[in-house]
Order: sequence, then structure tokens, then C-alpha cells
Amino acid sequence: MKQTHGLKTLMGTSVVVVGAMGMSHAMAAGQITFVSQGGAYQEAQTVAILDPVAEALGITIHQESAPDAWPMIRTQGTTGQAVWDVVDTPPLNCVRGGNQELIEPLDFSRVPNAESMPEEYKTPYSVAYEFYSSVLAYNPDAFDGNPPETWEDFWNVEEFPGNRALRNHPLGTLEAALLADGVAAEELYPLDVDRAFEKLEELKPHISTWWTSGGQSAQLLYDGEVDMLMMWNGRVSAIMDEGANADFTYNEGILQNTHLCIIKGAPNLDTAIEFVNAAIDPQYQANLPLHIDYGPGNPAAFDTGKIPDERARELPSYPDNAERQVLMSYEWWSSSEGEQAERRWLEFMQQ
Amino acid sequence: MKATAIHDRYAAGSAIDPSLRHRRREHVLMLLLMSPAVLVVFALLLVPLSWLIVQSVYADGAFSLEHYQRIFTEGIYWNTFYLTFRISVIVTLLALLMGYPIAYAASILPKRWAMLILALVILPFWTSVLVRAYAWLILLQRSGVVNQTLMASGITDEPLALMHNELGTIIATVHILLPFMVLPLYATMQKIPQDLVQAGSSLGGSPLHVFMRVFFPLSLSGVMAGMTLVFVLCLGFYITPELVGGGRTVMASMLVSRNIQLYSDWGAASAVSVVLLICVLIIFYVVSRLVPLEKILGAK
Amino acid sequence: MTKLSLGRFVFIGYVVLVLLFLILPVLIVLPMSFSDSRFLSFPPSSFSFRWYEAFFGSPGWMAAARTSLIVAFATALIATPIGVAAAYAINCSTHRLMRYLKIVLLLPLIVPIIIVATGVFFIYALSGMLYTIPGLIMADVMLALPYVITAVTAGLHGFDQTQEMVARSLGMNRFRSFMTVTLPQIMPSVVTGAIFAFIQALDETMVALFISGGQNQTLTVRMFTALRDEIDPTIAAISTLLTATSFALVMLMVMARQRSPA
Repeated sequence: MKQTHGLKTLMGTSVVVVGAMGMSHAMAAGQITFVSQGGAYQEAQTVAILDPVAEALGITIHQESAPDAWPMIRTQGTTGQAVWDVVDTPPLNCVRGGNQELIEPLDFSRVPNAESMPEEYKTPYSVAYEFYSSVLAYNPDAFDGNPPETWEDFWNVEEFPGNRALRNHPLGTLEAALLADGVAAEELYPLDVDRAFEKLEELKPHISTWWTSGGQSAQLLYDGEVDMLMMWNGRVSAIMDEGANADFTYNEGILQNTHLCIIKGAPNLDTAIEFVNAAIDPQYQANLPLHIDYGPGNPAAFDTGKIPDERARELPSYPDNAERQVLMSYEWWSSSEGEQAERRWLEFMQQ
Repeated sequence: MKATAIHDRYAAGSAIDPSLRHRRREHVLMLLLMSPAVLVVFALLLVPLSWLIVQSVYADGAFSLEHYQRIFTEGIYWNTFYLTFRISVIVTLLALLMGYPIAYAASILPKRWAMLILALVILPFWTSVLVRAYAWLILLQRSGVVNQTLMASGITDEPLALMHNELGTIIATVHILLPFMVLPLYATMQKIPQDLVQAGSSLGGSPLHVFMRVFFPLSLSGVMAGMTLVFVLCLGFYITPELVGGGRTVMASMLVSRNIQLYSDWGAASAVSVVLLICVLIIFYVVSRLVPLEKILGAK
Repeated sequence: MTKLSLGRFVFIGYVVLVLLFLILPVLIVLPMSFSDSRFLSFPPSSFSFRWYEAFFGSPGWMAAARTSLIVAFATALIATPIGVAAAYAINCSTHRLMRYLKIVLLLPLIVPIIIVATGVFFIYALSGMLYTIPGLIMADVMLALPYVITAVTAGLHGFDQTQEMVARSLGMNRFRSFMTVTLPQIMPSVVTGAIFAFIQALDETMVALFISGGQNQTLTVRMFTALRDEIDPTIAAISTLLTATSFALVMLMVMARQRSPA
């Protein structure tokens, strides 16, 4: 008897639990799910932008991280079951996502903060959020006062022996390979994909790790797993602050940015647009460089007086620094050639 | 006593009058009891599996073997399957080399020691695969514990590349699959009667001789079960190579997930899945002729 | 004699080495979880509760832990009765169809998990169950069934069926006689099955990687992304807690076993 009763209760409870969870899933007001790339960068923007925005708008921001957001953007868009709202990702993903109807067109009438921004910082689907650079970073101890300064040095395994790492992604990596092969910075695009892969093939046996996330790249340099690698400048300075033996050069860095865009059919579309507008507010944007070496996506941030001059000089998008770097062409990467090059990557990795 | 008596009467009764209707009702009842479980497996496994099979022979709305052709002609698929099988074979052999002696030790040692050994085997078994990947990252990295020890003891001057490659994947995978080897081996060895072994040695055989002629042949069914389990699990491994493989150890399961998530290429993903599934089913079928299926899966 | 003891010495040394290989990676996580640094350096230079604070203080981790616990409890609650019913049927019936159905129920263990994940992802994408808790629970129920059925079938083998028949001959209906006579006696194996189901749901990563996301992300999926993206010792802190949970449950299981009459 007792057991009968117990079993009924058990089954009853499980039905209730399942039911209740379905309900809480549907409930959604005053909240968004925001996706960025994790690690030091996500921590910095939480303090600089996300927390103040959440407070100002009175919303809850659930955070997730995805170093390569594209697969999830595709899945959520094609299945029509979006769980993300706003994604902080290279404009490439926003644009091709928009073209494939995986990303909502951005209603700029509701994003007044974008008005003053230069046109090239906007796409129909997205707006610039921050600037960063893929730079050549190294462990100074391994080179005794003569560190690698260019991608040519990075490829030169005789003069600069040591463990190397590159990102397990063609974006920026192909550019570096071509620069190492002697292609002039201003003649980089359209990329000569064959030549780039050939050059990469040459270095491949000497690459000890292909990293997949910013956090992992930081780990590799901090723990001495590698002596030199291509990584994002903010991640290098973050571990330098933690006391690591690390340094980097802006020389031949690949200047990149990320944009904010909204997933097609986002569960909290309204709040998401409100959030995007607030996130590029010059006041919050000016906070970002105070916490990590990344430049604001909205140039108006420099007029707020919040960013000290010496800080501005350290940012990748500061004119003196930008001059030494190459600006990545997302136009090329979102072209069909770019997409072909990306597909070819997996094949390259396996051979 | 009483129960047996009643049972006899009951059994006798039903034997004399095997009411067909009663038996049919019994069948229906049993099938009803089975149905929730079968339904779950049917809806979430059999239906999608059939769909995968259909999908794998479809391209542009017509029957086509294009996806299979790609597996056998395109280097990237071929390399992946080759790598997957190579890693699985190496892992299985290593697991056997490491697992057999521990299982043997557990089966001959006094109960208290056997329990300790089994506990040491089972504890990692109950630790998340993710956790163990993390642990291996700590141990095997360039400045990690293993490299430090090797260098301090003078075995090597330079740190070895133990992580972010195939070697790291193999080490971490062996660690994860070793319990699947030890448990079925132990289950078999435990049932080998000790007096048989003693009889062997009393007949004058050397311990090694007795082991090879008496004990080892009797443990073969456990060896089969363990090797099958480890090999098959390794074929479908994903998490460990993804986390410690350094980006270039691409196994078959990773190819499936990439084809779906990166390219939404269900045809290619399905074909790879079907080939993988067929390999696994063939292995299980062949082995189940020799060792019962329950025995293989018992340890899992 | 000396040759024998030398052989024995080598053998014991080898066994000890293999056991160290098995256990060291599990143990090393414990000191790491108290590390003060965010990187992988071992041994940690100083100790702190920083990563436990990071875990308990993070809404994201807490939400993931809650999702995982809800899913694990619900899985155990659903998979256990379903599995017990199936095991009972398998044990009682000799029908040929049963043999095939039994293999069908073992399939979740046989089919490589990546294929299970792909299939479940596909069905859920069609039915709108992606990234939902009920979806996660149903997938885990399927994966847990073989464990429950195996455990309970083993329990039923050691149980004398005639006792239940006695109860029925005394006028109890089948369900009541099962509940009052059979179930209490096979309880240890039912508990074992339920714990297996719970742990498997708590531990499941592969399928969850495909079907959990957004606010219904499981702990293991969050751990996976953290391992890929951050690799900080928060993982070690969670690991320590998870291993402790699993270990406590296994102890519970052992106790349940020992209390059962043979």
C-alpha cells in the first residue's frame, strides 16, 4: 500500500517537474541572452558594459560564450529555435548570417547611438562593438633580446626556434601567411588562398598547437607551452598583468573588430534592440579600454574624456598603432571566395 | 516449503489446463509493461536512425550514393576514418596490456586487496570525462608534472610534446576506457576456479606454464568482451580528442558534428554516421556469436 | 625461488604503476581546485577558495547546476518506473518478440553516442524540443533505461517468482502483489538502477552538447565550453564537487546492496 502511494507520488512529481520547466522556458521579459567569446575579454566587458547596461535598462543579461559563434547561429536560425538574442561576433558572421536569414536586420531607427558612427562601422545587420588585433605574441625569455618582429620571423624556424601556435581558424591566419610570404599589406585582398595555404603547409610541422579559443591561447603562452603565437592583443596584455613572461608587437597585426547582431527570431527581440543601442553608448563604450586593451567600437567614446591619453595610445585602433597593422576585409571573407577558403581549412588541418 | 508446494500446485494446474486466453492476456500485459520504454527508444533512437540512413543515400532529392562515394574518395574522410581506427586499435591494445594484469591481480589477491584495486578502478569511472580531460591538461602540458618529472630524472633534456596531439588523445582515452576493460576481465577471471589452477601446478607445471595453459584460455571471453567494449566506445569518441587533440586529431565523431554544425551538411554527416554504425554493429554481431551481448554490455 | 619473487616483484610494481595512472589524474584535481592562480601550473603556488567562490557566486554556473540537477532527478524519477516495468516484463515473458525488444532497449548503449546525439538533435529540431528541459529529460531517460533495466533484471533473477504467485493466489491483484511482495525484495537493485540513471543524466555531455543551450544549458555543457574557452580552475572546483557527489551516491548504492539479503 505504502509503496503504491509512493510510486504514484513519484510519477506525479515528475510530471509536475517537467511541466514546470516547460513553463519557465516560455517566460521571458526584461532579459536577454548575450553571447561573447569568453575569458578575459568577456570579464572585462561584463564590468565595463554589460553590468552598467543591465542596471540602466533594468534587465537581466544571461551570458554565454562561444569562440566561434557561427555553428550555433546556423543551428538556431535554420531550426527556427533561437535561444540566443545578441551575439558579439566578427561582422562576417552577421553579414552572411543576415544574407542567409539567420540574423535579424538591425532597425537603426531604434539604435540612435549608432547615428554618429562612421558608415563603415555598420552593416544592415550589425553595428561595431569593439576593435582588437591578432598580433604576434611571444615569451621574451625564449629569445634573449631578439624576439620575432614580423610574420616572416614567425615562419623562420631556423633563426627563431621554439614552439609555435596559431589559431585553428583561417580568419587572420591566412593573412599572416601571405604577409610572411612577402605580400605587401596594401595588396593583401583579395587573398591568394592557394599561396596562403602553401605557406601554411610549410610551417605546419612546427606548429605545436592549433588553439580554438582566446582563453586557450592565453593559457598556452602563460604556461610556457609555446614560445610564440598569434593571439588577440587584449589576451596578451591580460596575462602580462597577471605577471606572465609575455610580450607582443602591433607590427603586422591583423586589425579586426566584432559587431553586435541579433539572432533571427530571438526570444527577446525588443529588449535585444534596446540592449544593442545601450551597449554602443559612448559612455559605456569608453569603459571598455579601462579594463582590457581593446578599442571602443563607437569612436565617440574618445570624446567622453574617460579614456586617458596614455591608455588610448595602447589600443590597437590608435592611429599610430593602426598604421603598423592590416585592416581585415570582412567584405572579402563574406564573399563566396572567403567561404570557400574557410571550408578548405578543415581539409588543411587533417593532412 | 509452503511456497514451493503452492508453486507446484500452481505450475501443475497451468500445465494441465494451459488456458490459451490466459497466456495471450499475459503476453499483452507484458508488452504493455514494455511499451513505455520501447516507445522512448523508438521515438528518440530508431526513428532518427532510419531517417539518417535515408538521408545518407539522398542528394538533391534523388537516390544517390554520392555521400558514400565522397567518404571513399575524398582525402579528408578517408584520413579521418584511418585515424579513428588507428587510435582505437592502439587504445584497445594499451588498455588490454594495462588492464589484464590489474584484473588478474584483483582476482588472485585476498578479498581486501581485490576490493582496494577495484575501488581504484571504479573511482575514475565515476569521474566526469570532462574532469579527466582537465586533469590530463595539467599533467601533460609542456611545463606539466610529467615533463618536470621526466626532466628532473634526466630521462629527457627537452620537454616532450605530450598534449594537444594524437599522443595526448591516446593517453587520455586509455585512461577513460581502462575501467571498461578491467571490469569484464575481472568478472570472468573471478569465476575461474582456483583449484583448477592449483591442480595445474600440482601436476608440476611452472607458474608461467600454468598461467598460459590453464588460466589465460579461460579468461579469453573476458578479453573479448573488454576489447570489444573499449574498441567500440573509442570509435565514437568525441570529447577527449576535441579537448586535448590540439585541433588536428579529427576523429569520425568530430567529422559528423562539424558537418552538421558548421555546414548543415546532413547528407555527409549521415553517411559518416551510417558507416560508423555499420562497423559497430558488425563488431557486436561477430563478438556476440562468441560472448553473450549482456556480458559485454554488463560493465558499461 | 628468487626468480619467482623477482617476477612477482616486477608484476606488483607494474600493477601499482597502472593503478597510479588510473588514480593520479582524479586526485590532482583536488589541490588544483584550491589554487590561487587562474592557470594550470601545478603544484599551485598558493591556496584559496577563489574557484569555489567563482562557482557558487556565478549566476551562470548556478543556473547550469540547477538545470543539471532538475534533469538528473526527473530522469531518475521517470526512467526508474519505466525501466522496472520493462525489466519485469523481460523477466516474466518468454515470448520471442521479447528477445528482440530487449535488444532494442540495449541499443542506446550500442549505438555510438555521437549518432544518438545527431538523431535526437534532428527529432528535436523538427518538434521544437531543442534547448528545452523536457527534451533533455527524455533524451536522458532513453540513455538511462539500459542501466535501470540491467540492474533490475539482475535483481529479479535472484528473486523467487513463486512468492508473488503465492500473493496472487491469496487474492491480491497482480499490481498489488508486485508492490507488496516483489518490489520490497528487489528494492536494492531498483535503487541501484535509479542512482545509475541519476549519475548518467548528471554526467551526460555529448547529447547535451547538441540539445541544451541558452538558459537550459547543463553543467557538463558549460564545463565543456569552459574547458575549451577558459581552462581556469573553476572546473577543478566543480569537478571536486561532482566527484564527491558521484562517490557519495556509489557508497549509498553499496550500502543498499549490503543491506539486501544476499
